[in-house]
Amino acid sequence: MTNNYVGKRVKRTEDPRLIRGLAHYVDDVALPGTLHVTFVRSIYAHAKITGIDTSAALSTPGVVAVYTGQDVAGKIGPVPCASALPELKVPDHRVLATDKVYFVGHPIAAIVATDRYAARDAVDLVMVDYEELPVVTDVEQAANGGPVIHEAFGDNIAYKLTSGEGDIDAAFTAADRTVKQRILHNRLAPIAMEPRGVLARYFPGEEELTIWSSTQIPHLMRTQVALMIGIPENKLRVITPEVGGGFGSKLNVYSEEALLGWIAMQLGKPVKWIETRRENMQATIHGRGQVGDIEVGFKNDGTLTGLRYSVFADLGAYHQLLTPAIPTLTGLMLSGAYKIPAIQMNITGCFTNKMATDAYRGAGRPEATYVVERALDLVAAELGVDPAEVRRKNFPSPDEFPFHTATGLDYDSGDYETALNKAQEIIGYAQLREEQKKARDEGRLIGIGVSTYVEICALGPSQAMPAGGWESATVRIEPTGKVTVLTGASPHGQGQETSFAQIVADELGVNINDVTVIHGDTGVVQYGIGTFGSRATAVGGTAVFVAVQKLKEKAQKIAAHMLKADASHILFEGGKYSLQAAAAASATGVSEPVVPVGQAPAGALPEPETDGKSNLTIQDIALAAHLAKDLPPDTEPGLSATYFFEPKNFTFPFGTHIAVVEVDHETGDIKFLRYVAVDDCGRVINPMLVDGQVHGGIVQSIGQAMYEEVVYDEQGQLVTGTLMDYAVPRAKHIPNFELDRTETPSPVNPLGVKGVGEAGTIGATPAIVGAIVDALAPFGVRHLDMPVKPENVWRIINGN
Amino acid sequence: MIPAQFDYQAPATLEEAVSLLASDLDGAKILAGGHSLIPAMKLRLAQPQLLVDIGRIKSLAYIREEGDEILIGATTTHYQLESSDLLQRICPLLPDCAKSIGDVQVRNKGTIGGSLAHADPAADWPAAVLALGAELVLVGPKAERTVKAEDFFVDLFTTDLQPGEILREIRIKKPSGRFGQSYQKAPHPASGFAVVGIAVHLGLNDDGSCKAAAIGVTGVDVKAYRAKGVEAALSGTTIDDDAIAQASLHVCDGVDPNSDLYASSEYRGQLARVHMRRAIQAAKAKAQ
Amino acid sequence: MKLEGIHQLDAPRERVYQCLVDPEVLQRCIPGCERLEKTGDNTFAATIRAGVGSIKGVFNGTARLEDLREPEHLRIVVDSKGAPGFLKGSGDLDLEHAENGTKVNYSGDVQVGGTIASVGQRMIQGTAKMMATQFFTSLNAEAGTQAGEPPPQHGFFRTALRWFSGWLRNIFRKH
Ligand SMILES: Cc1cc2nc3c(=O)[nH]c(=O)nc-3n(C[C@H](O)[C@H](O)[C@H](O)COP(=O)(O)OP(=O)(O)OC[C@H]3O[C@@H](n4cnc5c(N)ncnc54)[C@H](O)[C@@H]3O)c2cc1C
Repeated sequence: MTNNYVGKRVKRTEDPRLIRGLAHYVDDVALPGTLHVTFVRSIYAHAKITGIDTSAALSTPGVVAVYTGQDVAGKIGPVPCASALPELKVPDHRVLATDKVYFVGHPIAAIVATDRYAARDAVDLVMVDYEELPVVTDVEQAANGGPVIHEAFGDNIAYKLTSGEGDIDAAFTAADRTVKQRILHNRLAPIAMEPRGVLARYFPGEEELTIWSSTQIPHLMRTQVALMIGIPENKLRVITPEVGGGFGSKLNVYSEEALLGWIAMQLGKPVKWIETRRENMQATIHGRGQVGDIEVGFKNDGTLTGLRYSVFADLGAYHQLLTPAIPTLTGLMLSGAYKIPAIQMNITGCFTNKMATDAYRGAGRPEATYVVERALDLVAAELGVDPAEVRRKNFPSPDEFPFHTATGLDYDSGDYETALNKAQEIIGYAQLREEQKKARDEGRLIGIGVSTYVEICALGPSQAMPAGGWESATVRIEPTGKVTVLTGASPHGQGQETSFAQIVADELGVNINDVTVIHGDTGVVQYGIGTFGSRATAVGGTAVFVAVQKLKEKAQKIAAHMLKADASHILFEGGKYSLQAAAAASATGVSEPVVPVGQAPAGALPEPETDGKSNLTIQDIALAAHLAKDLPPDTEPGLSATYFFEPKNFTFPFGTHIAVVEVDHETGDIKFLRYVAVDDCGRVINPMLVDGQVHGGIVQSIGQAMYEEVVYDEQGQLVTGTLMDYAVPRAKHIPNFELDRTETPSPVNPLGVKGVGEAGTIGATPAIVGAIVDALAPFGVRHLDMPVKPENVWRIINGN
Repeated sequence: MIPAQFDYQAPATLEEAVSLLASDLDGAKILAGGHSLIPAMKLRLAQPQLLVDIGRIKSLAYIREEGDEILIGATTTHYQLESSDLLQRICPLLPDCAKSIGDVQVRNKGTIGGSLAHADPAADWPAAVLALGAELVLVGPKAERTVKAEDFFVDLFTTDLQPGEILREIRIKKPSGRFGQSYQKAPHPASGFAVVGIAVHLGLNDDGSCKAAAIGVTGVDVKAYRAKGVEAALSGTTIDDDAIAQASLHVCDGVDPNSDLYASSEYRGQLARVHMRRAIQAAKAKAQ
Repeated sequence: MKLEGIHQLDAPRERVYQCLVDPEVLQRCIPGCERLEKTGDNTFAATIRAGVGSIKGVFNGTARLEDLREPEHLRIVVDSKGAPGFLKGSGDLDLEHAENGTKVNYSGDVQVGGTIASVGQRMIQGTAKMMATQFFTSLNAEAGTQAGEPPPQHGFFRTALRWFSGWLRNIFRKH
């Protein structure tokens, strides 16, 4: 009779409101008297501000206030950077530029007006005098004597870091051969469907500030904004209504969030700012942006001996919340799915005159997987063996787990070969290679790319995290028997309102429709960390799961009391507490109704009804717990449990992606013929959500591999400033995905789940590029940089 | 993303629209589907004082046969052209071209007249109307005049429309005899506009040889143009693969192909040649 | 962005050169130039209403003539700003005798910033090409008159522009 929601393709409870346009995003929250904010942003990438004249703007009808960097200096603290790396240079990042601008889109002044139109009109009336300074956009030029961005630092190097274990020199000495490749990771724009948005309201009487923000981290943001603007944290409430995607871009604390809060306090009126798509391209973090050299040593039989990756990370002009930390995640994952005795990563993090890079779906791990997988393809090419075989050769076997890597990690569990075998089987690998040969003979350019990835998820143990790696949950059964779940995670498209409800409904034996998952309101939910790093289910879901167990323990005690039996004799099944058969006979007083005595006053809740025998529903218990007329001694009234789950380790999902493409030799166009992905994300709560995550991830990988690139010209102008030029993949660019799974539970959490939010962006890119490179192998090509555009392909085919 | 202030009028008749437009030659702009003008206004790159919305003049949207002509009203949407059974039967190039434009939302709002008047160098319609030898009917405050498509496109975003004039109708001679048509396009992955767009109308003799070819090219130059070199090279041939390949090489004659972030001049030239060949082949294949 | 091109004009080199350094002629030739005032030796303040089709913007700025070597060379340096962004650059013009007039080689470097840079990527090159063509078309008409003669009429420009852009070969590359 127990429900069986977990493991089923339960439809997303979020979707009806989303599909019908009934959901509420920040911009849908309408407060009377709201003022609107727009920003004057720099049109230069690097310049001194020699003057700002706001008088014309101020005299525009409707304009209430204009704030410049000088106006807020000393009143709002710097935009926070949470990464603590040794000797990291952290520029003073003010919410508005004061004397200099460092990138196109750098906010200079905030205009507040009675409507968005007046606020926008006034932007053109703020006269900013600039004195241009030399610009540096190329990361290597920035590192090597280019114009210095933050003068106080003397150079553009924010930090240097070397990481890894094992004797790297010995590893290369032991190698029979080596391959080397310079590899570029194109800068990407996350392009959440809903751009950022902030609404702030201040009640001067209560001294309470409420900020609605489209963020992935309401709790962390609240702490940071409270510090920035100097309001007591307990007087600040952050609410994230519906959030239309984040992909890491809203895992941040932005200037605008603090500034809006501060302005609301100054003016005592609600203020709203909704980011435009152009602002979103310019002033919301970008992702990736690395250029590095990978070098791999290996034996003639394909055994890897060592790996070295030296990388320049393009950090942009300032550090946002995690900017400098992202490349270090690349370092962690450089062992990929392989046994590599020695690994070394050298990072040089550099300032450039661009928007900051930070976490974008995958956040440092796609870079690692990409270089490792590209390197494995190079090894295969060098040895003339099939790329799948080189991989197979270097997998740790399932009994080698927990598997320690030379990057210092302990992979929790894995069975890499089974996933590879399954993917090869589905696609018919051996036959496919035959067909490829035949096609080549006919002059067709067909390529097959294989990627066997591992990723790091469930971020993570607090030890390894800048601001705590745990997650929290409260599960509560209301007097009417409805179940409320409060999670510290902040789902924004992933579907945890559904999957957490599945977990809870199964555990409590209630209907899934009786479970509501609440998140993203610091006034309602206990502190939490948020949704990012594929952590929400593995860490947040576990917190929910354990909280339910705690709640059930208490309910069991109350049930025993009500059934006048020993708790150990109570059986909970299908949402009902009952006396175990054997115990029932020996129990005393079972026949007496266990209804609390006393007459209920008018309007009181109905008394819980027992069947007078041996059965109580969890709802009965909840009501009894709230009425609290007859509870076991030492039992608190109410039926609620809270748990903060601290994971002992990360989790390490893995899988195999195989892409098959055909290249048009006249135009260089690339067409997908097949795409197979076998992912292992541990135990699956909802296969449909997992499929959705994998689909979206692969799509973004296709974007990175073939279309997307944030381009700044030499002067630091963002020339891909709109979606007319920046190509996010559309439905017509996407092949049919053939998805399958293996399930290797994680020992790290009781649910056995690992996480799947980023798998697609991590596993797919190397398979796609590998396939394109393979298609062009007849032309001697071994590597191509992303995005692989038709023109590049055409040039290769035509030898220029 | 918020336009500057403007006035708005939705006249019920074309005459009214013409006189509204004449009331402010410098500041008034016609609004049709708004799918080119409004984005520009939102970026404040265009700041008209007055929008004269001709989208509500019912009588301006039509597709009909009259004598040996096909008449298309200026505010006929891309979707209406795409889904016209009549055109599918007598001039399939038009629906073919229409369905390659943007996405469904754009096709539901955007109009053929707006596209032609806007003269985006990468718009699809200009290629099609050139290949069909269309005539455009323009009405001004004083008179109505007819311009050949070939003379209509003057330069980048510049047409022969004079201040105060409205494009009212597109007229196309009904294709007759043995013919085949095709529109081939390399769309930009972000905008969907044509990196290269080739519209081919191929008239055949009874023996299957080429009687006359008319070919419009868009995306390649600052404005759409007739590929006269290709047309001439094709004329009289048996349109075998070799003739097609040879003729296609002339697509960029006298033109220095555009270059942008997505496609260099050289590559765009290559795309033009390849799609030209494919378009001619497809047109030939469709000729009964 | 690098710009390069060759334009063939009908007038003799000396006459073309004269036109190129005459602010009144320049004002008439620069597309959309509403104001060109001398502010010093070879320096000017300018207002240009630049645009294509429905896309328009007003730019205010300065222009300077440099490196004047009559009649074979000069450089124009412009720096202007407007609501749609900024536009600045410099161009070298080399005038050569040609059979029926003058061959003008120009090469320059143009930078645009602001809205036009971030949204007009695919249009910038075409716009520059068009404006150069318009400029030289007008210049050709101007140079066709004698100094002191009344300037050619605007209507003529349009007609001229059509045939001019039709046959004029323009070598124009982005590097
Ligand atoms: C996302 C997107 C993708 C697109 N993709 C493509 C594509 O792939 N291919 C393509 O060709 N186009 C594409 N377009 C452009 C689209 O087709 C436009 O609809 C079209 O270019 C303009 O038509 P409109 O009716 O919207 O004109 P409007 O935007 O209303 O007007 C455009 C201009 O023409 C003038 N005008 C309009 N009608 C008349 C008239 N009858 N007489 C005189 N002047 C007039 C207006 O004053 C204005 O200056 C796309 C647009 C968008 C937004």
